[in-house]
Amino acid sequence: MSAIDDLTGELARLPGIGRKTALRLTYHLLKQPPEQSRRLAEALRTLSDKVHPCARCANLTEEELCSICRDPRRDAAIICVVEESADIGAIERAGEYRGQYHVLGGRLSPLDGISPEDLAIPQLLNRVDSGGVREVILATNPSLEGEATALYVQRQLMSHGVTVTRIARGLPVGGDLEYADGVTIAQALSARRAM
Amino acid sequence: MALLATDAIVLHAFDYLESSRILRLVTREGGVRSVLAKGARRSSRRFGGGLDLFAQGTAHLYTKPGRDLDTLAGFDIARSRPALGEDLGRFTGASAVAELTLRFGGEAADGGLFDAVSNAFDAIAVASAGSASTATLASAWRVVAELGFAPATDICGECHAPIAPDATTMFSHAAGGTLCQRCGRTAPAGRLLPPDARHTLRQLLYGDDSLTLDEPSARAHQRLLREFLAEHLSDGRPLKALELWEDRRW
Repeated sequence: MSAIDDLTGELARLPGIGRKTALRLTYHLLKQPPEQSRRLAEALRTLSDKVHPCARCANLTEEELCSICRDPRRDAAIICVVEESADIGAIERAGEYRGQYHVLGGRLSPLDGISPEDLAIPQLLNRVDSGGVREVILATNPSLEGEATALYVQRQLMSHGVTVTRIARGLPVGGDLEYADGVTIAQALSARRAM
Repeated sequence: MALLATDAIVLHAFDYLESSRILRLVTREGGVRSVLAKGARRSSRRFGGGLDLFAQGTAHLYTKPGRDLDTLAGFDIARSRPALGEDLGRFTGASAVAELTLRFGGEAADGGLFDAVSNAFDAIAVASAGSASTATLASAWRVVAELGFAPATDICGECHAPIAPDATTMFSHAAGGTLCQRCGRTAPAGRLLPPDARHTLRQLLYGDDSLTLDEPSARAHQRLLREFLAEHLSDGRPLKALELWEDRRW
């Protein structure tokens, strides 16, 4: 196999990149100065050498603990459970949450062969059992798989003496009721609150 | 590109690139299809909440002969099935039925298969936690029947002789169901099926949805289904959702 085929094959394994795009990227790199390819290779090597899951919450970090777990200003009594590390960024951008996180590493998906054993649920239970946790917020995606995952985690936490809550679902801020779909309106109505 | 508007149910969904999703649907007029829903993750304006698992509605597909991936132009949701995510028995059961349909359904129009899947999800969605397993068993057998592999329960699978309702029979997966006494003696392998188990199988295939099996019976019928699928429909790849449903690891 030639070097071109080799790189094209590796790029084509990435999500969302087909054979044609991989070939285009390969030829693009060949047209650039050699230093650019070396910088890319070095960045990839550094990424795989240095980045690993946080020992406490499984967020991606270059240290033993991620920046959120190390931050003494964060409230360690509240843990927000998310599917992936990328979800932490979305919640952090909102700027409202001051607790810590726990990354499950996916969601229950029988069709993809993802069962409860494939998720970081025992680590979450250990964190709760180690004490000091008052509330666990389940922030898995508002999809059927996310709901099933939240339900499973909630059942696992039931006997651990901690308050379990689920993020709300409903109409988006700035949205128009007239254009909202029936499923979203039904969920917004069922999750209505007293004023 | 031709536009096809057809009844559809979402069986599987996964993210594609930054903002799109690829869905696998069972449709009334196009069989099992893979479709690209562009921008589905970024905005719900175009597809609403219709792209969640097991949701049913009218899909508008741009199709082109020879292409594996259609483009989803719109999805008018008729009903979502959130109840399937509110119990893990129901969730894994519905996933197992979806997996059977995806794995063994074809691209030809098949209204019978579409209705079987739709009825299956409705039946599993209203099943209690204790009866979700039976509802899934019945649903899986009915999908198998719609795929053309219904096991023989009242006649011999080999010689087609009628079988008495109270007879204990040999069930041969290779022969496609129960065997009469004569054919059963020469069958190389099979399971002995008592009359009540055969009656239960008939109910699962053709009866109403009121049946609830006890744990040992449900286990025995799960095993029978698994062995039957392995004989007739297996393509060598594991049926992950079916295994998870059967293992009950939750």
